[in-house]
Formats: sequence, structure tokens, C-alpha cells
Amino acid sequence: MNATDQLRAATDVLAREALYLDDRRWDEWIALYCEDCEFWTPSWLTEEDISADPNREISVFYFKSRGGLEDRVWRIRSGQAAALTPLPRTTHQVTGAVLEGDVTADAMIVKSAFACHVYFVRNKTQHVFFGRYEHGLVRIDGEWRIQRKKITLMNDFVPAMLDVFCV
Amino acid sequence: MRYADAARYVIDDPDKGVFRVHRDVFGDADLFDLEVRQIFEGGWVYVCMENQVPKPNDFFCTKIGRRSVIVSRDEDGVLHCFYNTCRHRGAAICHVERGNKKYHVCDYHGWAYDSSGKNFDIKDREAGGYADSFDACDHNLLPVARFDSYAGLLFVSLNPNVPSLSDYLGDAKKFLDLVMDQGRDGMELVPGRTNYTYAGNWKLQLDNSLDFYHLTSTHRSFVNIVNQREAGKSANQQVTSPNFQRRFAMPAGMFNLGNGHAVMWADQPNPETQPLWGEIEEVTSRVGEMRAKWMLRARNLTIFPNLQLADSTSLVLRTISPLAVDKTEMVMYSLAPVGEADDLRYTRIRQHEDFFNVSGLATPDDTIVYEDCQAGFVSADDDWLQCFERGITALKPGANEHASELGISPVASMVGEYAMQNEVSYHSAYQEWVRRLSGAMPQAAE
Repeated sequence: MNATDQLRAATDVLAREALYLDDRRWDEWIALYCEDCEFWTPSWLTEEDISADPNREISVFYFKSRGGLEDRVWRIRSGQAAALTPLPRTTHQVTGAVLEGDVTADAMIVKSAFACHVYFVRNKTQHVFFGRYEHGLVRIDGEWRIQRKKITLMNDFVPAMLDVFCV
Repeated sequence: MRYADAARYVIDDPDKGVFRVHRDVFGDADLFDLEVRQIFEGGWVYVCMENQVPKPNDFFCTKIGRRSVIVSRDEDGVLHCFYNTCRHRGAAICHVERGNKKYHVCDYHGWAYDSSGKNFDIKDREAGGYADSFDACDHNLLPVARFDSYAGLLFVSLNPNVPSLSDYLGDAKKFLDLVMDQGRDGMELVPGRTNYTYAGNWKLQLDNSLDFYHLTSTHRSFVNIVNQREAGKSANQQVTSPNFQRRFAMPAGMFNLGNGHAVMWADQPNPETQPLWGEIEEVTSRVGEMRAKWMLRARNLTIFPNLQLADSTSLVLRTISPLAVDKTEMVMYSLAPVGEADDLRYTRIRQHEDFFNVSGLATPDDTIVYEDCQAGFVSADDDWLQCFERGITALKPGANEHASELGISPVASMVGEYAMQNEVSYHSAYQEWVRRLSGAMPQAAE
């Protein structure tokens, strides 16, 4: 696989993740992730510094397995959460993907920029969460899957709620 | 304003079992302005922990009502608190939450202050053609009226005519001790905090932290996720939050601690899921069995008007800032023993994120129902809320046996099964609300 094909494979994963989230195709979204994946949104410690240690510092999200995401999807589908009823609508825009670090036939790191527009239907307000993604992708049985996702959320001053599908 | 007398907004008649609050208390913008002046700018409020400014020249910047203040430790280690505004043109001189600065220099005309707030440079003063009267002026940053600490927690009063902090906190100090004595070497805020707003009145948060009754409705999804984890039906095994449903057959109660302070408590069904459990032998040997038992109980404490310490799935410290009658800003930290072992800290952090984060499984449902309340308050005009009377027949003036065990003399006590899900914990805040607003009301037609 040449460099162009590899980048195309990476951007395809990013675009599919955005599609599955916005279209609420939760099972397909979950299936993009390895079971032992890490999903991490560090918290800002000061105006300039962001957490580097999820074991000793608070994160916005930190899951060390896909189970953390599955709990969220269960909650979304349960109809039991006021914050998710009706479910906010989202549009993820993901752009500027570049490969960085070691790129092999079976593993690569792709960095990108995101903006997630969220329309909170319940109170007719909207908000844009934005920042950068870092996806660690691995190829298993010919399919690229997400082994690790780090979301650097630039605007962490949150209006009332934030969930995994809003970033 | 509907009434000229603050007492008219609260019906407090324990003999009849009645406690009602008029919905204007949550929705009237004129009352909100009075609250900011009389409560937030008129008495003691929490600002930060001493160990958030541990070193010389460390500072922490926060808001009290409308006012921005800077807590600063000077070169000699002495703590000061002053208003965040230059004496020259009035510009805010501090623009970040915390840091370390020997000098605070105003970005506008360059007036400079040291870390004790003392002005040490007025740019180009000699060429300024000032009169003697200018030289006679004090140019230092304005200090707040009162500044004191208890158990490592710093409080400020912008009003000089208040009781001592110790007297203001009263028996609430015993409950602050149950939090601040958990660590052998003291307590610290875990780095990283949650900062969020909601479109609702600040007292919605004030009450909700003491609200037993909403758990099984507002947090139904959280309770069911915990059940699934326990049953092995969730692949997420990084969190072992206690199963709140088991609390229902267990004892629970509250104390009205006076001056607006209150605490609710409940026996913890699975104390082994608490990070404190990992240190319980050391804690017990240091504080004794009675206090260790109380440390393991769930306790949600409100220090009126802006500090809440909730010790349930994890230990959380929250501050409440009123921005408008229908907008509130929250800052939330995880509080932990200094030097906590890695495995216990890991459990503490994951349980905090799981429940308390505004990106977690519980807090978003709270904030959203606060917004529902705020939207609903204006949908009826002259009406009294019916959310203060669960448990009122079990409410007794003064101490009960649990208070005696702790050595406190509360205004009122209540104990019963958790299933009663009492709402009498909120009374203290509204009794204080009446006291603080009384005498300050502008004359209004009734």
C-alpha cells in the first residue's frame, strides 16, 4: 500500500466514524473500535496545559475498553436519560488528516481537526465543540479499526451537557 | 417584586408540617440581584483551597457574585485576597485562573503590584505633574473585607460586618473535618476540573446535591448501568460504583446545621467500592471508629451559599457561581488524600468521571432537569412549590442520637429509612435566604 492509499484508508475510517455518529448507526460506530481500545479526552489543567496522565488526573472521557462506549450507547438507546431525550442532533466535520509517526502496513497514526455542531433539540440551542483527533489505527483481517482515539477538546467550557457523540 | 418582605416568599410552619417556597424565588430577576448583593457579596463565600496556592507568589483568581478577586501568596508566604481591578483605570489585571507571579502588571498603563497587592510602580510618575493629593492616595490593590480559612479551605467576605468564619460555619465544621481529615497528609484537588453552565437558577444546584428523591427517576439510566455492570452484562469493568438501589432499606438522615448549611447522610451499601476503603485501617487508627464510620457514610454537605462537598461514589468539591437569575456556572473537582496510592486514585478518578463529570452518566441529567425547572417556573405565576415536605413528620428540632454521637447541636435533625427520600435538607438554605434578604427589600407594592 503506498502513502496515498494509506492516507485514503485512514480518512475513510474518520469519515465513516463521523457518518455513523451523525446517522446514529451506533452498532457500526462501536464496530470500528477494537475491544481493548483506549478512548480518551484529557481535561485542561490550566489555560495552557492539558492533562497527560489519565491515571492520576481527571479526564473528560477515559475508557480503557470498548465497554465504556457500549455503556454510552446503551444509555442513548434506553430512553431513560433526560439529557438524551430527545437526542441532540450532530454534524461532525473532520478535516486536515495527516499521517504522523511510524506507518506500517498494519498500523498508523492519523491526526485531524474536527468541529462537531450540536443542536440541543430539547431547548432549541446549539453549540460547536471543536478540537483535534488523534486516531491510532490497526489493520485486523484486512479492516482498519480504531485501537486508540485521543480527542483534544479546545473549548472545554460546557453548556449543560457533553457526551461521546458530541465530540 | 411581589412582596416587600422576604419572609413572605417562604412559608415555614413546622407545627402544621408545611414548608413552601414561592416560585418567584427562582425566577424573579430583582430578587436575584438582591441575592447577589446580600448573599454572595454580603457574607462568607468559599474561594479556593490553601494548597491551590502553595508557593510564594502563587495566585488563584475567581469570582464572588459580580466581583473578581485574586487570592495571592506573597514572598513571605502570607496569603492575601484583593479585588482584581487596577486602581488606575480599573482594568482587570489577572486573566488566568491560577499561576505564579511575583508582579501583577496592568496591561493598560503598566501600573505594577507585588504579590501582596502593594503598588510598587506607577509608570512615569515623576514626569506626571501629579498634585500632592495624588501622592497621598493609597494606590494598592483593594483588599477584601474579611479573609480566613478553615481546614485548608479559604473563605472571603466582601462585607466586614459578619461573624467570624468559625462562628459562621458552626457545626458544619465537624462535617468539613470528616472530609478534610481523610488523608493522613491532608487533602488535595485532583488535577483537571469540569467547568460548565446551565440555564437555571443557582439554588437548583444548591438543593439537588441534597436531593435523595430524584435518584431513581433522574438517574434511572445510571442506576441501570450500575446494575448491568454488577450482573456482568457490561464490558466496562473499570468502574465499581456502589449500587444506590440497596440504600433504600438502609438508614438515612439529615441535619439542618444553621446559617444555610445542611448535610444529608445515608449508609453506604458497598463501602468496599469507595477509594477510602483502601486506607480505612490507617484512617480508623487516626480518627477513631466513630468518625471513620461517618467518613464511609454517604454525606452531601452544603456550605451556604456556594460550596458543596459530596461524598458518595467518589468525593467531589463543587462551587456554584450565580451568573443571572436563569444562568449558573459550576466548577467541579475531585478531592483526594495527598499521596493516595495509584490504584485507589485510579478508582476515585474513574468513579468521579462516570457519575459527576458533566460528560458523565449522571450530571447531564441533573443540568437538563434544572433547565426544565427554570422553563417551568415562569409557566405559572402566583404559586408555591411543593418540593420541601417529604420527611417533615420525622423532622425534629435540635439534636438526635446521631447528632449527639458527633457532638453537634443542629437546628433540626431527621432520621428514617432512605426510602423516605427526605426533602427537609433544603430548609436551612431558605431560612437563611429569608434572614439575608430581610431588611434589604426595596419598598414595593403588594
